[in-house]
Amino acid sequence: MIDKEKLREYAKKLMFDMKDSEYDTLQKEFDVILKQMDLIGKIDNISSVLPMFYPFELDNVKLREDVVNNELVFDDLLVNTSNVKDNQVVVPKVVE
Amino acid sequence: MRFSDNTISNLRIKLDKGEVSSLDLFNTASALAYKYQDDCNLFVSILDKKDEEKSNSVLSGIPYALKDNISTKGILTTASSNILKDYVPVYDATVYKKLKESGAVLVGKTTLDELAMGGSGITAHTGIVRNPWDKTRQIGGSSSGSVGVVSLDIVPFSIGSDTGDSIRKPAAYCGVVGYKPTYGLISRYGLFAFASSLDHVGVIARNVKDISLVTDIIKGHDDKDMTTLEDDGVKFSDYINKDIGNKKLFYIKEICDYNTVDTDESKLVLDNFYDTVNKVKSLGFSVSEVSIDKDLLNAIYPTYMSISCAEATSNNANLVGIHFGNRIGSKSIDEIMFETRTNGFSELIKRRFILGSYILQRENQEKLYLNACRIRRLLVEKLTDLFKEYDGMIMPATGGIAPKFGDKSDNLSDKYLLLENHLALANFGGFPSITIPSGFVNKMPVAINITSGIKTDAMLLNMASKIENSLGYKNMIVGDDDV
Repeated sequence: MIDKEKLREYAKKLMFDMKDSEYDTLQKEFDVILKQMDLIGKIDNISSVLPMFYPFELDNVKLREDVVNNELVFDDLLVNTSNVKDNQVVVPKVVE
Repeated sequence: MRFSDNTISNLRIKLDKGEVSSLDLFNTASALAYKYQDDCNLFVSILDKKDEEKSNSVLSGIPYALKDNISTKGILTTASSNILKDYVPVYDATVYKKLKESGAVLVGKTTLDELAMGGSGITAHTGIVRNPWDKTRQIGGSSSGSVGVVSLDIVPFSIGSDTGDSIRKPAAYCGVVGYKPTYGLISRYGLFAFASSLDHVGVIARNVKDISLVTDIIKGHDDKDMTTLEDDGVKFSDYINKDIGNKKLFYIKEICDYNTVDTDESKLVLDNFYDTVNKVKSLGFSVSEVSIDKDLLNAIYPTYMSISCAEATSNNANLVGIHFGNRIGSKSIDEIMFETRTNGFSELIKRRFILGSYILQRENQEKLYLNACRIRRLLVEKLTDLFKEYDGMIMPATGGIAPKFGDKSDNLSDKYLLLENHLALANFGGFPSITIPSGFVNKMPVAINITSGIKTDAMLLNMASKIENSLGYKNMIVGDDDV
Protein backbone atom coordinates (compact mmCIF):
# COMPACT_ATOMS: atom_id res chain seq x y z
CA MET A 1 0.00 0.00 0.00
CA ILE A 2 1.24 3.46 -0.85
CA ASP A 3 2.74 5.43 2.03
CA LYS A 4 0.41 8.12 3.42
CA GLU A 5 3.31 10.52 3.91
CA LYS A 6 4.12 10.16 0.23
CA LEU A 7 0.55 11.20 -0.62
CA ARG A 8 0.89 14.19 1.71
CA GLU A 9 4.07 15.13 -0.15
CA TYR A 10 2.28 15.05 -3.51
CA ALA A 11 -0.52 17.22 -2.10
CA LYS A 12 2.00 19.78 -0.82
CA LYS A 13 3.61 19.93 -4.27
CA LEU A 14 0.18 20.70 -5.67
CA MET A 15 -0.22 23.51 -3.12
CA PHE A 16 -3.04 22.08 -1.01
CA ASP A 17 -3.64 19.87 2.00
CA MET A 18 -6.36 17.43 3.00
CA LYS A 19 -7.81 16.18 6.27
CA ASP A 20 -6.26 13.07 7.83
CA SER A 21 -9.41 11.07 7.14
CA GLU A 22 -9.26 12.14 3.49
CA TYR A 23 -5.71 10.78 3.19
CA ASP A 24 -7.02 7.48 4.60
CA THR A 25 -9.69 7.38 1.86
CA LEU A 26 -7.11 8.26 -0.78
CA GLN A 27 -4.73 5.59 0.44
CA LYS A 28 -7.45 2.94 0.05
CA GLU A 29 -8.47 4.37 -3.32
CA PHE A 30 -4.87 4.24 -4.50
CA ASP A 31 -4.82 0.56 -3.74
CA VAL A 32 -7.65 -0.02 -6.25
CA ILE A 33 -6.34 2.49 -8.77
CA LEU A 34 -2.86 0.96 -8.79
CA LYS A 35 -4.43 -2.46 -9.42
CA GLN A 36 -6.35 -0.90 -12.32
CA MET A 37 -3.14 0.72 -13.54
CA ASP A 38 -1.47 -2.71 -13.57
CA LEU A 39 -3.88 -3.53 -16.43
CA ILE A 40 -2.01 -0.98 -18.53
CA GLY A 41 1.20 -2.95 -18.15
CA LYS A 42 -0.39 -6.26 -19.17
CA ILE A 43 -0.13 -5.61 -22.89
CA ASP A 44 2.74 -7.36 -24.67
CA ASN A 45 5.49 -5.22 -26.19
CA ILE A 46 3.75 -2.05 -25.11
CA SER A 47 7.03 -0.16 -24.93
CA SER A 48 7.48 -0.45 -28.70
CA VAL A 49 4.27 1.51 -29.39
CA LEU A 50 4.47 5.24 -30.10
CA PRO A 51 2.54 7.17 -27.41
CA MET A 52 -0.55 9.05 -28.64
CA PHE A 53 -1.05 12.50 -27.12
CA TYR A 54 -4.01 13.74 -29.14
CA PRO A 55 -6.87 12.02 -31.00
CA PHE A 56 -5.65 12.24 -34.60
CA GLU A 57 -3.21 14.01 -36.85
CA LEU A 58 -4.48 17.49 -37.65
CA ASP A 59 -3.59 18.53 -41.17
CA ASN A 60 -4.76 22.12 -41.01
CA VAL A 61 -2.83 23.50 -38.04
CA LYS A 62 -1.22 26.75 -38.94
CA LEU A 63 -0.19 29.74 -36.90
CA ARG A 64 -2.48 32.71 -37.40
CA GLU A 65 -1.19 36.16 -38.16
CA ASP A 66 0.19 37.95 -35.12
CA VAL A 67 -2.22 40.89 -34.98
CA VAL A 68 -2.97 43.20 -32.08
CA ASN A 69 -6.23 42.24 -30.45
CA ASN A 70 -7.18 44.17 -27.35
CA GLU A 71 -9.96 41.83 -26.44
CA LEU A 72 -9.43 42.14 -22.71
CA VAL A 73 -9.51 45.53 -21.03
CA PHE A 74 -8.45 46.42 -17.49
CA ASP A 75 -11.96 47.07 -16.22
CA ASP A 76 -12.98 43.56 -17.26
CA LEU A 77 -9.81 41.89 -16.08
CA LEU A 78 -9.95 43.31 -12.58
CA VAL A 79 -13.57 42.39 -11.92
CA ASN A 80 -12.58 39.06 -10.39
CA THR A 81 -10.18 40.32 -7.78
CA SER A 82 -11.11 42.42 -4.80
CA ASN A 83 -7.74 43.97 -4.08
CA VAL A 84 -6.64 46.31 -6.87
CA LYS A 85 -4.42 49.38 -6.91
CA ASP A 86 -3.41 51.39 -10.01
CA ASN A 87 -4.66 48.66 -12.37
CA GLN A 88 -2.58 46.04 -10.59
CA VAL A 89 -3.57 43.10 -8.40
CA VAL A 90 -2.29 43.63 -4.86
CA VAL A 91 -0.48 40.72 -3.20
CA PRO A 92 1.47 40.47 0.07
CA LYS A 93 5.01 41.81 -0.01
CA VAL A 94 7.40 39.32 -1.57
CA VAL A 95 10.60 41.03 -0.38
CA GLU A 96 10.55 42.18 3.23
CA MET B 1 -43.22 9.22 -19.43
CA ARG B 2 -44.68 11.77 -21.79
CA PHE B 3 -43.69 13.16 -25.16
CA SER B 4 -43.01 16.80 -25.87
CA ASP B 5 -43.90 18.53 -29.11
CA ASN B 6 -41.54 21.39 -28.25
CA THR B 7 -39.04 20.45 -30.91
CA ILE B 8 -36.91 23.22 -32.35
CA SER B 9 -38.76 22.91 -35.69
CA ASN B 10 -42.18 23.20 -34.03
CA LEU B 11 -41.13 26.16 -31.89
CA ARG B 12 -39.71 27.80 -35.02
CA ILE B 13 -43.09 27.50 -36.78
CA LYS B 14 -44.95 28.89 -33.77
CA LEU B 15 -42.52 31.80 -33.48
CA ASP B 16 -42.71 32.58 -37.20
CA LYS B 17 -46.52 32.47 -37.18
CA GLY B 18 -46.60 34.77 -34.18
CA GLU B 19 -48.39 32.18 -32.03
CA VAL B 20 -45.74 32.64 -29.35
CA SER B 21 -43.00 35.19 -28.74
CA SER B 22 -39.46 34.53 -27.60
CA LEU B 23 -40.46 36.20 -24.33
CA ASP B 24 -43.31 33.68 -23.90
CA LEU B 25 -40.89 30.80 -24.49
CA PHE B 26 -38.35 32.29 -22.11
CA ASN B 27 -40.94 32.87 -19.39
CA THR B 28 -42.22 29.31 -19.67
CA ALA B 29 -38.67 27.92 -19.53
CA SER B 30 -37.75 30.15 -16.61
CA ALA B 31 -40.89 29.20 -14.65
CA LEU B 32 -40.12 25.50 -15.15
CA ALA B 33 -36.49 26.07 -14.18
CA TYR B 34 -37.58 27.57 -10.85
CA LYS B 35 -40.29 24.92 -10.39
CA TYR B 36 -37.81 22.02 -10.43
CA GLN B 37 -34.81 23.78 -8.89
CA ASP B 38 -35.43 22.83 -5.24
CA ASP B 39 -36.03 19.19 -6.09
CA CYS B 40 -33.38 18.59 -8.75
CA ASN B 41 -30.80 21.45 -8.48
CA LEU B 42 -30.27 21.56 -12.25
CA PHE B 43 -29.07 25.16 -12.41
CA VAL B 44 -26.23 27.13 -10.84
CA SER B 45 -27.80 30.34 -12.19
CA ILE B 46 -31.26 30.99 -13.64
CA LEU B 47 -30.98 34.19 -15.66
CA ASP B 48 -33.15 37.18 -16.49
CA LYS B 49 -33.99 37.57 -20.14
CA LYS B 50 -31.62 39.62 -22.25
CA ASP B 51 -32.62 41.05 -25.64
CA GLU B 52 -31.65 38.44 -28.18
CA GLU B 53 -29.68 39.41 -31.27
CA LYS B 54 -31.65 39.75 -34.48
CA SER B 55 -31.11 36.73 -36.71
CA ASN B 56 -32.80 34.62 -39.36
CA SER B 57 -31.39 31.48 -37.79
CA VAL B 58 -33.60 28.53 -36.93
CA LEU B 59 -32.60 29.07 -33.30
CA SER B 60 -33.67 32.70 -33.11
CA GLY B 61 -35.86 33.14 -30.04
CA ILE B 62 -35.39 29.52 -28.88
CA PRO B 63 -34.45 29.07 -25.20
CA TYR B 64 -31.51 26.89 -24.15
CA ALA B 65 -29.12 26.22 -21.27
CA LEU B 66 -25.31 26.11 -21.03
CA LYS B 67 -23.15 24.00 -18.76
CA ASP B 68 -21.53 26.20 -16.14
CA ASN B 69 -17.99 25.49 -17.33
CA ILE B 70 -18.49 27.50 -20.52
CA SER B 71 -17.40 31.15 -20.42
CA THR B 72 -20.14 33.76 -20.65
CA LYS B 73 -18.87 37.33 -20.37
CA GLY B 74 -20.45 39.13 -17.44
CA ILE B 75 -22.40 36.04 -16.29
CA LEU B 76 -21.29 34.07 -13.23
CA THR B 77 -19.53 30.86 -14.32
CA THR B 78 -18.45 28.64 -11.46
CA ALA B 79 -17.64 25.21 -12.93
CA SER B 80 -19.62 24.13 -9.82
CA SER B 81 -16.49 24.66 -7.72
CA ASN B 82 -16.00 26.71 -4.57
CA ILE B 83 -12.73 28.04 -5.94
CA LEU B 84 -14.67 29.79 -8.73
CA LYS B 85 -17.87 30.46 -6.83
CA ASP B 86 -17.78 34.21 -7.64
CA TYR B 87 -15.94 34.06 -10.98
CA VAL B 88 -17.33 36.22 -13.78
CA PRO B 89 -15.68 35.50 -17.16
CA VAL B 90 -14.24 38.38 -19.13
CA TYR B 91 -14.85 36.86 -22.55
CA ASP B 92 -17.37 34.66 -24.36
CA ALA B 93 -16.73 31.06 -25.33
CA THR B 94 -17.06 30.61 -29.09
CA VAL B 95 -20.01 28.23 -28.68
CA TYR B 96 -21.86 30.84 -26.59
CA LYS B 97 -20.95 33.62 -29.02
CA LYS B 98 -22.33 31.62 -31.95
CA LEU B 99 -25.54 30.80 -30.12
CA LYS B 100 -25.92 34.45 -29.10
CA GLU B 101 -25.44 35.55 -32.71
CA SER B 102 -28.04 32.99 -33.80
CA GLY B 103 -30.59 34.68 -31.54
CA ALA B 104 -30.95 31.71 -29.16
CA VAL B 105 -31.91 32.80 -25.65
CA LEU B 106 -29.90 31.64 -22.66
CA VAL B 107 -32.13 30.59 -19.76
CA GLY B 108 -29.46 29.50 -17.30
CA LYS B 109 -26.11 27.92 -16.49
CA THR B 110 -26.38 24.28 -15.51
CA THR B 111 -24.86 22.35 -12.62
CA LEU B 112 -21.99 19.94 -13.23
CA ASP B 113 -19.67 17.68 -11.30
CA GLU B 114 -17.01 20.03 -9.94
CA LEU B 115 -14.68 21.17 -12.77
CA ALA B 116 -16.37 18.54 -15.00
CA MET B 117 -14.47 15.78 -13.21
CA GLY B 118 -16.85 13.02 -12.19
CA GLY B 119 -19.85 11.12 -13.43
CA SER B 120 -22.33 11.27 -10.58
CA GLY B 121 -23.80 14.76 -10.24
CA ILE B 122 -23.02 14.73 -6.53
CA THR B 123 -19.90 16.95 -6.30
CA ALA B 124 -21.16 20.42 -7.26
CA HIS B 125 -20.50 23.19 -4.74
CA THR B 126 -24.22 23.98 -4.76
CA GLY B 127 -25.25 20.44 -3.79
CA ILE B 128 -26.28 17.20 -5.43
CA VAL B 129 -28.27 16.99 -8.66
CA ARG B 130 -31.16 14.54 -8.58
CA ASN B 131 -32.45 12.44 -11.46
CA PRO B 132 -35.93 13.72 -12.43
CA TRP B 133 -37.07 10.16 -13.28
CA ASP B 134 -36.41 9.07 -9.69
CA LYS B 135 -35.06 11.55 -7.21
CA THR B 136 -33.49 8.83 -5.09
CA ARG B 137 -31.13 8.21 -7.99
CA GLN B 138 -28.11 9.97 -9.45
CA ILE B 139 -28.43 11.79 -12.74
CA GLY B 140 -24.86 11.05 -13.75
CA GLY B 141 -22.40 13.61 -14.96
CA SER B 142 -20.58 15.66 -15.45
CA SER B 143 -23.15 17.42 -17.68
CA SER B 144 -25.74 16.73 -14.98
CA GLY B 145 -27.95 19.81 -15.18
CA SER B 146 -27.69 19.96 -18.97
CA VAL B 147 -29.36 16.55 -19.40
CA GLY B 148 -31.92 17.23 -16.66
CA VAL B 149 -33.21 20.46 -18.19
CA VAL B 150 -33.89 18.71 -21.50
CA SER B 151 -35.58 15.69 -19.88
CA LEU B 152 -37.96 18.01 -18.01
CA ASP B 153 -38.89 19.99 -21.14
CA ILE B 154 -37.49 23.17 -19.62
CA VAL B 155 -35.58 23.86 -22.85
CA PRO B 156 -35.42 21.97 -26.18
CA PHE B 157 -31.62 21.75 -26.10
CA SER B 158 -28.59 22.41 -23.97
CA ILE B 159 -24.82 22.45 -24.32
CA GLY B 160 -22.49 20.19 -22.36
CA SER B 161 -18.92 18.96 -22.42
CA ASP B 162 -17.64 15.41 -22.70
CA THR B 163 -14.16 14.21 -21.70
CA GLY B 164 -14.84 10.50 -21.02
CA ASP B 165 -18.63 10.18 -21.37
CA SER B 166 -19.87 13.32 -19.61
CA ILE B 167 -22.65 14.05 -22.10
CA ARG B 168 -23.47 10.58 -23.35
CA LYS B 169 -23.73 8.67 -20.08
CA PRO B 170 -25.95 11.09 -18.13
CA ALA B 171 -28.07 11.43 -21.30
CA ALA B 172 -28.61 7.66 -21.11
CA TYR B 173 -29.56 7.86 -17.42
CA CYS B 174 -32.04 10.62 -18.20
CA GLY B 175 -33.71 9.40 -21.42
CA VAL B 176 -32.44 12.14 -23.74
CA VAL B 177 -30.14 12.29 -26.78
CA GLY B 178 -26.51 13.20 -26.08
CA TYR B 179 -23.95 13.84 -28.80
CA LYS B 180 -20.28 14.65 -28.86
CA PRO B 181 -18.86 15.43 -32.30
CA THR B 182 -15.55 14.64 -33.95
CA TYR B 183 -12.73 16.29 -31.99
CA GLY B 184 -12.28 19.80 -33.38
CA LEU B 185 -15.71 20.12 -35.01
CA ILE B 186 -16.93 22.48 -32.27
CA SER B 187 -14.53 25.04 -30.83
CA ARG B 188 -13.35 24.53 -27.25
CA TYR B 189 -12.38 28.20 -26.87
CA GLY B 190 -13.89 29.32 -23.57
CA LEU B 191 -14.55 25.81 -22.26
CA PHE B 192 -12.77 25.40 -18.93
CA ALA B 193 -10.13 22.83 -19.78
CA PHE B 194 -10.24 19.50 -17.95
CA ALA B 195 -8.13 17.23 -20.20
CA SER B 196 -7.50 19.09 -23.44
CA SER B 197 -6.72 16.07 -25.61
CA LEU B 198 -10.02 14.43 -24.61
CA ASP B 199 -12.36 17.42 -24.07
CA HIS B 200 -15.27 18.00 -26.47
CA VAL B 201 -18.18 20.46 -26.50
CA GLY B 202 -21.43 18.73 -27.45
CA VAL B 203 -25.22 18.95 -27.58
CA ILE B 204 -28.12 17.45 -25.65
CA ALA B 205 -31.66 17.40 -27.08
CA ARG B 206 -34.74 15.18 -27.29
CA ASN B 207 -34.26 14.08 -30.89
CA VAL B 208 -31.45 13.73 -33.41
CA LYS B 209 -32.84 16.36 -35.80
CA ASP B 210 -32.59 19.00 -33.07
CA ILE B 211 -29.04 17.89 -32.33
CA SER B 212 -28.25 18.43 -36.03
CA LEU B 213 -29.89 21.86 -36.16
CA VAL B 214 -27.89 23.09 -33.16
CA THR B 215 -24.63 21.55 -34.35
CA ASP B 216 -25.02 23.27 -37.72
CA ILE B 217 -24.96 26.59 -35.87
CA ILE B 218 -22.10 25.97 -33.43
CA LYS B 219 -19.65 23.92 -35.51
CA GLY B 220 -16.89 25.37 -37.61
CA HIS B 221 -13.29 26.47 -37.69
CA ASP B 222 -12.26 28.95 -35.00
CA ASP B 223 -9.01 30.91 -35.10
CA LYS B 224 -9.09 30.90 -31.31
CA ASP B 225 -8.91 27.09 -31.11
CA MET B 226 -6.09 25.76 -33.29
CA THR B 227 -7.43 22.21 -33.01
CA THR B 228 -10.68 23.04 -34.83
CA LEU B 229 -11.25 21.45 -38.23
CA GLU B 230 -11.64 23.32 -41.50
CA ASP B 231 -15.28 23.90 -42.47
CA ASP B 232 -16.57 21.32 -44.93
CA GLY B 233 -19.84 23.09 -45.71
CA VAL B 234 -21.99 20.04 -44.87
CA LYS B 235 -25.29 20.93 -43.23
CA PHE B 236 -26.11 18.01 -40.93
CA SER B 237 -29.81 18.89 -40.71
CA ASP B 238 -30.14 18.65 -44.51
CA TYR B 239 -28.18 15.40 -44.65
CA ILE B 240 -30.22 13.74 -41.93
CA ASN B 241 -33.05 12.51 -44.16
CA LYS B 242 -30.86 11.40 -47.05
CA ASP B 243 -31.09 7.80 -48.13
CA ILE B 244 -27.67 6.47 -47.21
CA GLY B 245 -28.46 2.85 -47.99
CA ASN B 246 -27.95 -0.08 -45.71
CA LYS B 247 -25.13 0.54 -43.29
CA LYS B 248 -22.84 -1.87 -41.49
CA LEU B 249 -22.52 -1.74 -37.73
CA PHE B 250 -20.63 -3.85 -35.20
CA TYR B 251 -20.56 -4.35 -31.47
CA ILE B 252 -17.70 -5.58 -29.30
CA LYS B 253 -18.37 -9.09 -28.09
CA GLU B 254 -16.24 -8.89 -24.93
CA ILE B 255 -18.07 -5.80 -23.66
CA CYS B 256 -21.62 -6.96 -24.47
CA ASP B 257 -21.08 -10.35 -22.84
CA TYR B 258 -23.64 -11.63 -20.30
CA ASN B 259 -20.71 -13.16 -18.42
CA THR B 260 -19.34 -9.69 -17.61
CA VAL B 261 -22.43 -8.69 -15.63
CA ASP B 262 -23.43 -9.85 -12.20
CA THR B 263 -26.87 -8.35 -11.54
CA ASP B 264 -30.34 -8.94 -12.97
CA GLU B 265 -30.55 -5.26 -13.74
CA SER B 266 -27.43 -5.34 -15.93
CA LYS B 267 -28.73 -8.45 -17.67
CA LEU B 268 -31.92 -6.54 -18.47
CA VAL B 269 -29.79 -3.72 -19.91
CA LEU B 270 -28.10 -6.24 -22.18
CA ASP B 271 -31.51 -7.74 -23.09
CA ASN B 272 -32.60 -4.25 -24.12
CA PHE B 273 -29.42 -3.85 -26.17
CA TYR B 274 -29.89 -7.12 -28.08
CA ASP B 275 -33.60 -6.35 -28.64
CA THR B 276 -32.56 -2.98 -30.04
CA VAL B 277 -29.96 -4.62 -32.29
CA ASN B 278 -32.73 -6.80 -33.73
CA LYS B 279 -34.87 -3.73 -34.44
CA VAL B 280 -31.87 -2.05 -36.07
CA LYS B 281 -31.33 -5.10 -38.27
CA SER B 282 -34.98 -5.01 -39.32
CA LEU B 283 -34.35 -1.48 -40.64
CA GLY B 284 -31.82 -2.88 -43.09
CA PHE B 285 -28.64 -2.33 -41.10
CA SER B 286 -26.26 -5.24 -40.75
CA VAL B 287 -24.91 -5.73 -37.24
CA SER B 288 -21.87 -7.95 -36.67
CA GLU B 289 -20.11 -9.13 -33.57
CA VAL B 290 -16.37 -8.37 -33.46
CA SER B 291 -13.79 -9.47 -30.95
CA ILE B 292 -11.04 -7.33 -29.42
CA ASP B 293 -8.30 -8.49 -27.04
CA LYS B 294 -9.86 -8.33 -23.56
CA ASP B 295 -6.62 -7.23 -21.89
CA LEU B 296 -6.63 -4.21 -24.18
CA LEU B 297 -10.29 -3.46 -23.40
CA ASN B 298 -9.68 -3.82 -19.67
CA ALA B 299 -7.12 -1.05 -20.00
CA ILE B 300 -9.67 1.51 -21.29
CA TYR B 301 -10.62 2.84 -17.87
CA PRO B 302 -7.13 3.03 -16.32
CA THR B 303 -5.89 4.63 -19.54
CA TYR B 304 -8.63 7.22 -19.27
CA MET B 305 -7.86 7.87 -15.60
CA SER B 306 -4.15 8.20 -16.27
CA ILE B 307 -4.40 10.62 -19.20
CA SER B 308 -7.30 12.68 -17.86
CA CYS B 309 -5.89 13.11 -14.33
CA ALA B 310 -2.42 13.96 -15.64
CA GLU B 311 -3.82 16.62 -17.97
CA ALA B 312 -6.23 17.93 -15.32
CA THR B 313 -3.49 18.40 -12.74
CA SER B 314 -1.64 20.59 -15.18
CA ASN B 315 -4.66 22.44 -16.64
CA ASN B 316 -5.98 23.46 -13.23
CA ALA B 317 -2.67 24.78 -11.94
CA ASN B 318 -3.96 28.28 -12.80
CA LEU B 319 -6.54 28.15 -10.01
CA VAL B 320 -4.53 29.86 -7.28
CA GLY B 321 -6.70 32.78 -6.15
CA ILE B 322 -4.39 35.60 -7.22
CA HIS B 323 -5.87 37.16 -10.38
CA PHE B 324 -9.24 35.50 -10.03
CA GLY B 325 -10.97 32.91 -7.92
CA ASN B 326 -12.04 32.82 -4.34
CA ARG B 327 -8.86 34.12 -2.63
CA ILE B 328 -8.23 32.89 0.92
CA GLY B 329 -5.25 33.87 3.11
CA SER B 330 -3.20 37.05 3.22
CA LYS B 331 0.26 36.45 4.71
CA SER B 332 2.23 35.51 1.59
CA ILE B 333 1.64 34.51 -2.01
CA ASP B 334 2.44 30.91 -1.14
CA GLU B 335 -0.01 30.97 1.74
CA ILE B 336 -2.75 32.46 -0.47
CA MET B 337 -2.27 29.75 -3.09
CA PHE B 338 -2.12 26.99 -0.49
CA GLU B 339 -5.17 28.11 1.48
CA THR B 340 -7.17 28.99 -1.65
CA ARG B 341 -6.60 25.55 -3.14
CA THR B 342 -7.03 23.70 0.17
CA ASN B 343 -10.40 25.35 0.77
CA GLY B 344 -11.48 25.76 -2.85
CA PHE B 345 -11.31 22.18 -4.11
CA SER B 346 -13.47 19.35 -2.83
CA GLU B 347 -11.94 16.09 -1.66
CA LEU B 348 -12.66 14.24 -4.90
CA ILE B 349 -10.90 16.86 -7.01
CA LYS B 350 -7.87 16.78 -4.74
CA ARG B 351 -7.72 12.99 -4.99
CA ARG B 352 -7.77 13.20 -8.79
CA PHE B 353 -5.04 15.86 -8.79
CA ILE B 354 -2.85 13.77 -6.51
CA LEU B 355 -3.32 10.80 -8.79
CA GLY B 356 -2.39 12.98 -11.78
CA SER B 357 0.70 14.22 -9.96
CA TYR B 358 1.69 10.66 -8.99
CA ILE B 359 1.35 9.53 -12.62
CA LEU B 360 3.54 12.38 -13.80
CA GLN B 361 6.35 11.84 -11.28
CA ARG B 362 9.58 11.02 -13.09
CA GLU B 363 9.72 7.52 -11.61
CA ASN B 364 6.12 6.69 -12.71
CA GLN B 365 5.79 8.57 -15.96
CA GLU B 366 7.03 5.82 -18.29
CA LYS B 367 5.00 3.06 -16.67
CA LEU B 368 1.76 4.92 -16.02
CA TYR B 369 1.49 7.97 -18.27
CA LEU B 370 3.38 7.01 -21.42
CA ASN B 371 2.11 3.44 -21.37
CA ALA B 372 -1.45 4.82 -21.10
CA CYS B 373 -0.75 6.98 -24.16
CA ARG B 374 0.53 3.86 -25.94
CA ILE B 375 -2.64 1.92 -25.03
CA ARG B 376 -4.60 4.87 -26.36
CA ARG B 377 -2.89 4.47 -29.72
CA LEU B 378 -3.54 0.70 -29.85
CA LEU B 379 -7.23 1.18 -29.07
CA VAL B 380 -7.67 4.05 -31.51
CA GLU B 381 -5.85 2.21 -34.31
CA LYS B 382 -8.00 -0.86 -33.70
CA LEU B 383 -11.22 1.14 -33.94
CA THR B 384 -9.97 3.15 -36.92
CA ASP B 385 -9.31 -0.12 -38.74
CA LEU B 386 -12.80 -1.37 -37.87
CA PHE B 387 -14.33 1.89 -39.15
CA LYS B 388 -12.75 1.16 -42.53
CA GLU B 389 -14.84 -1.99 -42.73
CA TYR B 390 -17.92 -0.84 -40.78
CA ASP B 391 -19.89 2.42 -40.74
CA GLY B 392 -20.27 2.50 -36.99
CA MET B 393 -20.20 0.75 -33.64
CA ILE B 394 -23.42 0.15 -31.69
CA MET B 395 -23.15 -0.53 -27.96
CA PRO B 396 -25.17 -0.30 -24.75
CA ALA B 397 -24.47 3.19 -23.36
CA THR B 398 -24.20 1.98 -19.76
CA GLY B 399 -23.98 -1.20 -17.75
CA GLY B 400 -27.00 -0.37 -15.62
CA ILE B 401 -29.65 2.22 -14.85
CA ALA B 402 -28.86 5.42 -12.94
CA PRO B 403 -27.41 4.34 -9.57
CA LYS B 404 -29.04 5.13 -6.25
CA PHE B 405 -27.21 7.63 -4.06
CA GLY B 406 -24.74 5.68 -1.97
CA ASP B 407 -24.56 2.71 -4.34
CA LYS B 408 -21.07 1.23 -4.43
CA SER B 409 -19.59 -0.57 -7.41
CA ASP B 410 -16.71 -2.99 -7.62
CA ASN B 411 -14.23 -0.88 -9.53
CA LEU B 412 -12.15 -3.88 -10.51
CA SER B 413 -15.03 -5.92 -11.95
CA ASP B 414 -15.41 -6.67 -15.65
CA LYS B 415 -18.71 -4.82 -15.64
CA TYR B 416 -17.10 -1.64 -14.29
CA LEU B 417 -14.01 -1.82 -16.49
CA LEU B 418 -15.86 -2.68 -19.70
CA LEU B 419 -19.59 -2.02 -19.81
CA GLU B 420 -19.56 1.09 -17.59
CA ASN B 421 -16.58 2.87 -19.08
CA HIS B 422 -16.18 1.99 -22.77
CA LEU B 423 -17.60 5.32 -23.97
CA ALA B 424 -14.16 6.89 -23.36
CA LEU B 425 -12.99 5.12 -26.54
CA ALA B 426 -14.65 7.89 -28.56
CA ASN B 427 -12.68 10.51 -26.63
CA PHE B 428 -9.37 8.70 -27.15
CA GLY B 429 -9.80 8.84 -30.93
CA GLY B 430 -11.97 11.95 -31.24
CA PHE B 431 -14.68 9.79 -32.85
CA PRO B 432 -18.22 11.25 -33.12
CA SER B 433 -20.55 9.46 -30.73
CA ILE B 434 -24.24 9.68 -29.85
CA THR B 435 -26.48 8.15 -27.20
CA ILE B 436 -30.18 7.65 -27.93
CA PRO B 437 -32.87 6.29 -25.57
CA SER B 438 -33.78 2.65 -26.25
CA GLY B 439 -36.25 1.75 -23.53
CA PHE B 440 -36.66 1.18 -19.81
CA VAL B 441 -35.30 -1.16 -17.17
CA ASN B 442 -36.98 -1.08 -13.77
CA LYS B 443 -38.84 2.10 -14.81
CA MET B 444 -35.60 3.95 -15.56
CA PRO B 445 -34.43 4.93 -19.06
CA VAL B 446 -31.62 3.05 -20.79
CA ALA B 447 -29.89 3.85 -24.06
CA ILE B 448 -27.72 2.67 -26.88
CA ASN B 449 -24.65 4.46 -28.15
CA ILE B 450 -23.44 4.71 -31.75
CA THR B 451 -19.90 5.79 -32.58
CA SER B 452 -18.34 6.20 -36.03
CA GLY B 453 -15.08 7.22 -37.69
CA ILE B 454 -13.70 10.75 -37.43
CA LYS B 455 -15.38 13.39 -39.60
CA THR B 456 -18.36 11.11 -40.36
CA ASP B 457 -20.72 13.06 -38.08
CA ALA B 458 -23.30 13.64 -40.83
CA MET B 459 -23.59 9.92 -41.49
CA LEU B 460 -23.66 9.14 -37.75
CA LEU B 461 -26.55 11.55 -37.18
CA ASN B 462 -28.37 10.16 -40.22
CA MET B 463 -28.05 6.59 -38.88
CA ALA B 464 -29.04 7.67 -35.36
CA SER B 465 -32.10 9.46 -36.68
CA LYS B 466 -33.28 6.39 -38.60
CA ILE B 467 -32.77 4.18 -35.57
CA GLU B 468 -34.41 6.68 -33.23
CA ASN B 469 -37.53 6.76 -35.45
CA SER B 470 -37.98 3.03 -35.02
CA LEU B 471 -37.49 2.79 -31.26
CA GLY B 472 -40.41 4.89 -30.02
CA TYR B 473 -38.66 7.14 -27.49
CA LYS B 474 -38.12 10.22 -29.63
CA ASN B 475 -39.02 13.49 -27.84
CA MET B 476 -39.57 11.63 -24.57
CA ILE B 477 -39.75 13.66 -21.35
CA VAL B 478 -40.25 12.83 -17.72
CA GLY B 479 -43.94 12.30 -16.97
CA ASP B 480 -45.85 14.24 -14.32
CA ASP B 481 -46.16 11.07 -12.29
CA ASP B 482 -42.40 10.58 -12.35
CA VAL B 483 -41.47 14.00 -10.93
